[in-house]
Amino acid sequence: MVIDDDPSILITVAGILRFEGYDVATATNGADGLRMLDQVQPTLLLLDMRMPVLDGWGFTKTLRERDITLPVLIMTAAQDARRWAAEVNAAGYVAKPFELLDLIEAVEQFQEPPEHQ
Amino acid sequence: MSAEALLQYLSWLVFLLIFVSTLIRAINRPRRANIDIALLFGVPALVILLGLISLTSSSPMPAWFNALSGSLILSISYLLLRLVDDFANVPVALLAGAPVLLIALCIPLFVLAQPLPGWLTVLQIAYFVLLQLYAGIAFVRAARQVTGVTRRRLRAAATGSVLLGADIIVLGLTRLGSGWMLVSAFAGLGCGISYFLGFAPPSLLRRAWQEPELRAFLGRAALLPRLPTTQAIIEEVERGAATALGARRASVGLFDAATQQLHFVVEGDLRQFPVKDDYPAGRAFLRQEPVFSPDTPRDYPQYAALSRATLSTALLIAPITAGEKRLGVLTISSPHTVIFADDDLALVQLLADQAAVVLESRSLIDEAARVHAREEATRLKDDFLSAAAHDLKTPLTTLVAQAQLMERRALRRPDAPADITGLQRLVKEALRLRSLVLDLLDASRVEQGQLVGRREEIDLTALVREACSHQTSAQPTCTVEAAGPVSGMYDPQRMSQLIENLIENAVKYSPDGGDIRVHVWEEATDARLTVSDQGIGIPPADLPTLFERFHRGSNVDDRRFSGMGLGLFICRGIVEQHGGHIWATSELGQGTTFHIALPRTTD
Repeated sequence: MVIDDDPSILITVAGILRFEGYDVATATNGADGLRMLDQVQPTLLLLDMRMPVLDGWGFTKTLRERDITLPVLIMTAAQDARRWAAEVNAAGYVAKPFELLDLIEAVEQFQEPPEHQ
Repeated sequence: MSAEALLQYLSWLVFLLIFVSTLIRAINRPRRANIDIALLFGVPALVILLGLISLTSSSPMPAWFNALSGSLILSISYLLLRLVDDFANVPVALLAGAPVLLIALCIPLFVLAQPLPGWLTVLQIAYFVLLQLYAGIAFVRAARQVTGVTRRRLRAAATGSVLLGADIIVLGLTRLGSGWMLVSAFAGLGCGISYFLGFAPPSLLRRAWQEPELRAFLGRAALLPRLPTTQAIIEEVERGAATALGARRASVGLFDAATQQLHFVVEGDLRQFPVKDDYPAGRAFLRQEPVFSPDTPRDYPQYAALSRATLSTALLIAPITAGEKRLGVLTISSPHTVIFADDDLALVQLLADQAAVVLESRSLIDEAARVHAREEATRLKDDFLSAAAHDLKTPLTTLVAQAQLMERRALRRPDAPADITGLQRLVKEALRLRSLVLDLLDASRVEQGQLVGRREEIDLTALVREACSHQTSAQPTCTVEAAGPVSGMYDPQRMSQLIENLIENAVKYSPDGGDIRVHVWEEATDARLTVSDQGIGIPPADLPTLFERFHRGSNVDDRRFSGMGLGLFICRGIVEQHGGHIWATSELGQGTTFHIALPRTTD
C-alpha cells in the first residue's frame, strides 16, 4: 500500500509498482490508510511523512499501538530521511526525488514481484 | 551658678571645641574654604577668651580692650560673607564693600570716648543683622539649587545665620531684662551647632545625610540596564551620582578604545579628550584610582578656561572599571570646593563601581540580543532552505519517476499506445516546479524593488472574478462582492498573481472548508480589496512578521502545510511597489482577512 498526500507522486509510485506486477492500494493520508488496512491486508507500506489529517509519525504510532507489525518504507524529501526512518522505526527509506530503480530495489528487498516468483 | 551662666559656659565650650576642630582641618588642608571656616570660629573663640579675661580680672578693662572685643564681634558677619562666597557666589561689590564698611564702623570704637553715641550702635547692629540676613537668604537660595547632603548643610548654615542675627538683636534687648540673657544664650549655642553642622560636618553626619539619596540611586540601579539606550542609562547614573554627592553636576566619560579618547556628553554636546595624565579625568583613568581636584583652574592651568566655562572648579573623579575592562570615568563637579570632602572619594568610587555594573549589564543584554537576532536569522534561513528543498523535490519526484516509468514501459512494450495521462502528469508537475522557481526569483526581485513591470488600466473586479472562478473545488467556496468595475493603473500580471496568491493562501489555510469572500470597492483615491477566509487564523504574535520573508505562522504545522513562506512576502512586494499597503486582521480559529489599499493612479 502507498500513502502520500501528493496525488501525482501517489499515482506515479502506484503505476511503477503495478507495472512491475504488484497489487497496489493507495491512500492520500494516514487516516485513510488506517481505515483500509483491514480490507486490503498489505504486506508492505510505502509511507510519506508530511501529510494532512494523520501524518507519518501519527500513522506509525497507531500501528505500534495496534500491535501491527508490517514493514514500512518511508518516502520523504527531508534532508534527514535516515533520522526520520529511525524515529518511526521504519524498515527503510527512499529519499525524494528517487529514481525508478531506487524504488523498485527498495521494494524488492521486502517482496519479490509476483512475475518473478 | 544660674541657668543662664551655665548655658553661657556650655556655648563657649562648644565654640572653642568647634574652633579647635576646624583649626586642625585648616592646618591639614590649607584651602580657602577651610581657612575661612577656621577664621569664622576663631573670632568667637577669641571674643570668648577676652570675655574670660575680663571676668577673671578684678580691675575694669581698658577702653581699647572693649573696642577690640566689639570689633571682633562685628567682623564675624564679614567672615560669614566670605563663607557665603565659598558656597554660592556673592556680588563682587558687596564682597569688596563689606570690609571697608566694617573698618569704618570699628574705628569709632577706638577713637570715641565712652559712652558711645546711640547712632553708632544702631549702625553697627544694622550692619551685622543685615549681613546675617543676606547670608541666611543666600544659603536658602543656594540650598534650593542642590540636593542631598549639600542642601542639608546649606539649610544648617542658613539656620545658624538667622540665629546669630537674632542673638545680636537679643543681646541689645538684654538691657531691658535678664530673661533675655537665657534666650541669647540659647540662640548662641544653636548658632554654633548649626554652623558646625553646615560648614564642617563630621564624616559620620555626612554619610548619614548622603545615605537617603545613595539608597534611592542603588535601588534604581537594578532597573537601569533595561533603559532603551546607553545614553539614557548614563544620564540616570549622572543624575543619581550628582544627587548622592549633593553636587550640581556629574558626568560619565566613556572610553573609546578606537580613538583612545574619553567621550563626555555635556548638555547634548559630545566632548572628546585624549587619555592623558595632564587633567584630572585622564589621570583617574590612567592610574585607575579616584582623584580629588579641589581647585582645577589652579592645579591644571591649561584646562582653566574649560574648567571655568563648565563651572567645574572642584572635581571628584573615579574610574569606571568592570574587572579588567576599563569603561570610563565618573566625574562629579562643582563650582564650589567646599561642598566636597576628601572622604567623598570613597563614595564616588562606590558610585563608579555601580555604574560599571550597570554599563556591563547593559552590554551583556545588547550582546544577548545580537546573538538572539543572529540565531533567529540563521534559523529562518535554515527553515527556508529545508522548506524550499522539500517543495522543489515534490514535483521533481513525480517528474523523474514518471519519466523513467514511461521510458521503461516504452522499452518493454514498444507497441503500447502513448500514456496520455502519464504525459499530462509530467506537464502538470513541470509547471508546478516552474511556478516554485518563479516564486523564488520573484522573492529576490522584491528585494531589488524590480517586481512591478509595465502598468496599464485594468479592472480589479474582473480580475478577482476570474481568479475566483479558478478555484474549482466545492469546499471552500469562493465568492466575489463588488458593486461594479474598480479600475486603476496596475501591472496586470502582478495583480493576477497577487489575487491568486491570496485566494490560494485562503484555500490552503481553510482545511475544513468554509467561505472565501473577496470584496472589491473604491474608497477615495484608493482601490480597496479584502480576502476573507474562515480558516485556522493567525496568532496575534505572528501578525507583525507575517509579510516577512521565510516567516510562517507559529500555528502552521509544516508537516500539514507545505510552503516556503514566500507567498505573502511577494504579495507585499507587489502591493508596496504599486504604492499601496497590505495588512491582515485575524482571529485564531475563526479566520483571517487580508486588506489591501492600492492608489488608483500612479502619482
